[in-house]
This record gives sequence, structure tokens and C-alpha cells, in this order.
Amino acid sequence: MTAAALPENNFFNAKKGIMSWLFTLDHKRIGLLYLYAILSFFLVGVVLGFLMRLELLNPGQDIMKPHTYNQVFTLHGVIMIFLFIIPSIPAIFGNFFLPLHLGTDDVAFPKLNLLSFWLYVLGALFALATLVFGDGPADTGWTFYAPYSVKTGTNVTMSVLAAFILGFSSILTGLNFIVTIHRLRTPGMGFNQMPLFAWSLYATSWIQLLATPVVGITLLMIIAERVFGIGLFDPSIGGDPILYQHLFWIYSHPAVYIMALPAMGLVSEIIPTFAQRTIFGYKAIAYSSMAIAFVGYFVWGHHMFTSGMSGTAGFIFSILTFFVAIPTSVKVFNWVATLYKGSINIEIPLLYMMAFIFNFLIGGLTGLANAALAADVHLHDTYFVVGHFHYVMFGGTGFAMFGALHYWFPKIWGRMYNKARANVAFALLFFGFNMLYFPMLILGIMGMPRRYYDYLPEFHGLNQIATVGSWILVSGLILMLANLLIGLKKGKIASANPWNGITLEWQTSSPPPLHNFDKLPELNEGGPYNYPDAKKA
Amino acid sequence: MEENKNKNNEHQEHISSYKEHFGTWSALILLTLMTVLVSVFGADLRTLSVATAMIIATVKVLAVGYYFMHLKYEPKIYRTLIIIVMALFVFFLVMVILDYLTR
Ligand code: HEM
Ligand SMILES: [Cu+2]
Repeated sequence: MTAAALPENNFFNAKKGIMSWLFTLDHKRIGLLYLYAILSFFLVGVVLGFLMRLELLNPGQDIMKPHTYNQVFTLHGVIMIFLFIIPSIPAIFGNFFLPLHLGTDDVAFPKLNLLSFWLYVLGALFALATLVFGDGPADTGWTFYAPYSVKTGTNVTMSVLAAFILGFSSILTGLNFIVTIHRLRTPGMGFNQMPLFAWSLYATSWIQLLATPVVGITLLMIIAERVFGIGLFDPSIGGDPILYQHLFWIYSHPAVYIMALPAMGLVSEIIPTFAQRTIFGYKAIAYSSMAIAFVGYFVWGHHMFTSGMSGTAGFIFSILTFFVAIPTSVKVFNWVATLYKGSINIEIPLLYMMAFIFNFLIGGLTGLANAALAADVHLHDTYFVVGHFHYVMFGGTGFAMFGALHYWFPKIWGRMYNKARANVAFALLFFGFNMLYFPMLILGIMGMPRRYYDYLPEFHGLNQIATVGSWILVSGLILMLANLLIGLKKGKIASANPWNGITLEWQTSSPPPLHNFDKLPELNEGGPYNYPDAKKA
Repeated sequence: MEENKNKNNEHQEHISSYKEHFGTWSALILLTLMTVLVSVFGADLRTLSVATAMIIATVKVLAVGYYFMHLKYEPKIYRTLIIIVMALFVFFLVMVILDYLTR
């Protein structure tokens, strides 16, 4: 059934005017506000990354001074981590689709949800304000390591405050989702009938709720030390710099699972739709999310092997880190097993999911190299690490997010983008991405250190390849976004369920009405992905 | 409590007696007084007096959680969650101290 026009009652036209957006309590509109805001900051971050790659095209100083380069990579890191990748999937798609997936009409605390959004905006303004206030953006790296962060003249206080405020936004979103999942599931939906995306958000929310306060306090301690000279971290006034690193990574390692788990949830969600087949090992995937979230709390020390932490602690953290690989591999195995003998329909969202698996595999395996105590002594603070985390965060989570955008585009806007153009954009993104970051892994093994505007002549060739890769990647991004923007305005009207999906959001019209469902959605017999046999053929 | 387990997530109201509220409150005040007394008169015990203060504080936290925050009435899962969180916190402290002591 292809409708010729958008449904008359949808959440876009339910209320009119700019105020109805800025102060909306509708989870779908809040999700879209996040989408627009997060994508804008992502583009700022991309421009900064692009400029760094230009500087690194040739050895020596080209387009920026060393000090500027330090500020640029810091701002790039802060924006990409705190403004883009941490909020991205939960705040955009979690907000929009969690209530739909649970068959309910909103999150548990809609006003708190709006507050989270405005805290996000406030934090973002603080981060950007460092550009004009004080002595410019921080030059410490996004990690704000003490004692340098206590001593540098740049505007660390403001950057740190930004991260602090963004942390609150994240905590409130997590809290909201936990309560929503516990309290608002549609009648008859037990935890084990929830879509796997909801499970992954559940695991993620617990990390947001429990780990974020640690970094909040730690960042305030930096400010206290800068402003009042309290000797917490600076050894010259009696502090312990390694204590800072402990506190920072107690949050920031679990935070990488805030980035990764929702992406894994998306993969588990999208693969069954395009294989038209029940997910393989539902419970294994659901519980491995919880296991990853849990084990993720015990491994932070792997960032500190070379910082002067004790050998005993290093040894323990190295072993603990290897345990994270187990639940992660369980997931990859299950995804592949789901595809096996499915009736696979290669559409753009599935391509992005397969790119996720490919990139995340490289990211994860290089992570194991970092986790091995002996190897890390060589690899720490080289380009190997830069390659590794871009593979995980950008190649993994970033690609999953783009895939979700293509998957749910017809549900959100009720229209379809141009698929041929989307394919070209995907190819450019995938190729450009690998051309940009794979050389970094090699450069790192060769010994090129990270966070420098310059390098030795022997690193020239691979750096040039990487920079050209960044051009291809950016063209892909522009094409992808342009295509989606055009689709949003002029795309063909899509049916309510263009991919033949089976989770509850596909039972309502596209775009959904203000209250999500006109009649109570029907649960699938035997689990959220149980495709009837007829469709299997 | 059993009735809270029902699938429709109906929220159950509980009204605790004045006696219980007042009793908890008095206990908290008494414990606070004890903390003060230990720190004033037991100052030369040093580590031991700090440990005593921490133990008293822990008892107070438990009382607040159990009576004032109604953990008493909630399903077991919430108590389990709180225990997990506390265990995590202890793990953070233990690992950081372990690093410090073996450095
Ligand atoms: C066009 C896209 C991108 C380009 C060209 C790019 C490039 C770079 C470069 C050249 C560096 C600095 C390496 C150094 O000197 O140490 C860097 C650092 C970093 N990037 Fe990206 N990047 C891009 C996208 C992303 C994305 C999507 C994320 C996160 C999701 C991200 C997260 C980071 C982080 C956290 C750092 C470390 C900053 C620091 O050292 O404090 N980047 N990136
Ligand atoms: Cu880590």
C-alpha cells in the first residue's frame, strides 16, 4: 500500500510555530532537535579534522602554528566525543524510537527530556565559547590531563565546564530511559520481548547514570585546582597526577561503551529486517550488552600502562580488558549467524551495518593490541591509537548512526531518499574512511607519535595517503547529507513499512501521529523478530 | 513486595507510620551525635576514629535508603542494583589504592 500523500495527522503538523519545537515535550521532536544540533556540531568537528589533515599533508608548518594545532585537536576531540558520539544514537534515535519500540506514547519524564536537550545546548555553547573568550580553546587534548591542564594559560576552565554540563544532560537521558524501560513497556511486553535496540539503550543508560558523575566531580576538581590552588593532582603542590588519570578513565572507559553499545543495538535491529529472519541468539545479544556494560567498569587502567601506574595494577587491568572481547565476539558471531541462510536484501542500511562490522572488527582487534601490556608500551600515544579509536568510534558508531538515519528516514519523514545517490555516498564514505585511517595504524607501528603538527620525513608517504582519504571521506559525507536533505523535501512518499520491518514502530503511520499509535500495537508471537515463515521464502 | 511485580507496572502507594519515620529520624540524630563524640573524644585513636565515622555513616546511609527511600517496599531487584553500585564503588577505591600502594 503506497499512499500518495503524507498522513494528515502526524507529529510534524500536530502543532505549529517555532515555540512548539523549542519547548516541545514530544520525544520525537526532541529526538529531531538533537539530530539537527548533533549533526551541526559533527560538521564543525569534521572541518577541524579536515584542517588537521591538511596541516599533515606535508612535513613542517603549513597552515597552522604548533600551538594552534594543539588547540584544534583538543576542540576536535571535545566536540567529537562530548557533542557528537556520546549523545548521538541514544539522544537522537533512542529518543525517537524507544517509546515506539515499547509501544508507548512518550518517555517517562518528558520535561526532564527537554531539560536534557537544553543542557546539551548550554554545554555546547560553553565549548564553542572557548573560541572567543580567554586565551582560546584548551590545548590539553580532550583528556585534560593534569598537571598540564592546571597550568596552561588556555581556557581550560570553560572547556571543562562544558564537559561537566554535557555530563548532566547525559545522566538525565540515561535516567529517563531506565525508568521508561522499567515502567512503560506495552502490556504483555516482558524484558525478553523488547527489541534489542531497547536492550542496548538499557545497558547504555546504566553506564550514563553510574559513570558520568565520576567525571563530573573530577572535572570540578580540575577547576578547584586551577582557581584555588588546591593540591589534588599537581605534584608541585602535593597532588598526584596519576590520581587524575584514574578518575578520568573510571568514567571515560565505560563511556566508550556509551558510544559502542547503542550502535551494536542498531546492528542487531537492522540485520533481521534485511535478512527477513529471526535474530540468532536473542538472549545472548541482550545479555552480552549488559555484560559489556558491566565488565567495562573494570578495565580503565589500560589507558595508563605507561603513565607510571604500578606494574601489579597494569597486569590486572591488562587481563581484565581481554574479558571485554568475549561478549563482543558473541555479538559479532550472532549477527553473522543471522545473515547466514537469510533472504538477504542488500539495501543501504544493511550496507552501513556490514561496514560497521568490518570497521569495528579492525577497531576491536587493534584494541586488543593496545590492551596487551607489552605491546602497548610501544603503541601508546602513537598514531596506532588514533587509528584504533577512529575505527571504533567513527567507522563503528558513526557508520551505524548513518545507517540508522537511512533505515528510519522513511519512518521519521514519510519519504524516501534517492537510493542510487545514497549508494555512491556510501561507497565514498567507506573507501575514504579506510584510506584515511588504515595508514595511521601502520604509521603508529612505525613509531609516529600522536598530537604533533609535524613529523619525520619517513612518514611522508602514508600521511599523504591519509590526507587524500580525508578528501574522499568528506565528499562522501557531503553527498550523503545533501541526498538526505533533498529526500526530506522532495523524496517520493514512502509506505508505512518500506523495509518490511516487524518491530512496533512499523505498525504506525509515517510520520507517526503525535501520540505514536492510533490503536494499541500488536506484539509479535514468539519474540520481537519472529518473521512468519511465509516471508522467509 | 509481590504485588509490585505485576506486568502493568501499577505503582503501589505505601504509607509508613509516624512511629517508623520518627524512630528512623531519632536514630539518625543519635548516630550523628556519636560521630561528633567520637571525633572529639577519640581524636587520638586516629585511623580508628576515621574508620568508626565511616562505619556510622554507612549505617546512616542504609537507614535512609531502607526506610526513607522506601527500599523496604520495593522489589528485590532495586536492592540488588544498589548492592551492585556499592560494590562497583568499592572496586574503584580498591584498585586505585592498590596501584598507589604497589607503585
Ligand atoms: C573527517 C573526519 C575526521 C578527520 C579528518 C579526523 C582527523 C583527526 C586527526 C588528524 C586527529 C589528530 C591526531 C593527532 O594529531 O594526534 C584526530 C584526533 C581525534 N579525533 Fe578525529 N577525525 C575525524 C573524525 C572524527 C570522529 C567522527 C570522531 C569521534 C567520533 C573523532 C574523534 C577524535 C578524537 C577523540 C581525537 C583525539 C583528540 C586528542 O588527541 O585529544 N574524529 N582526528
Ligand atoms: Cu579504555
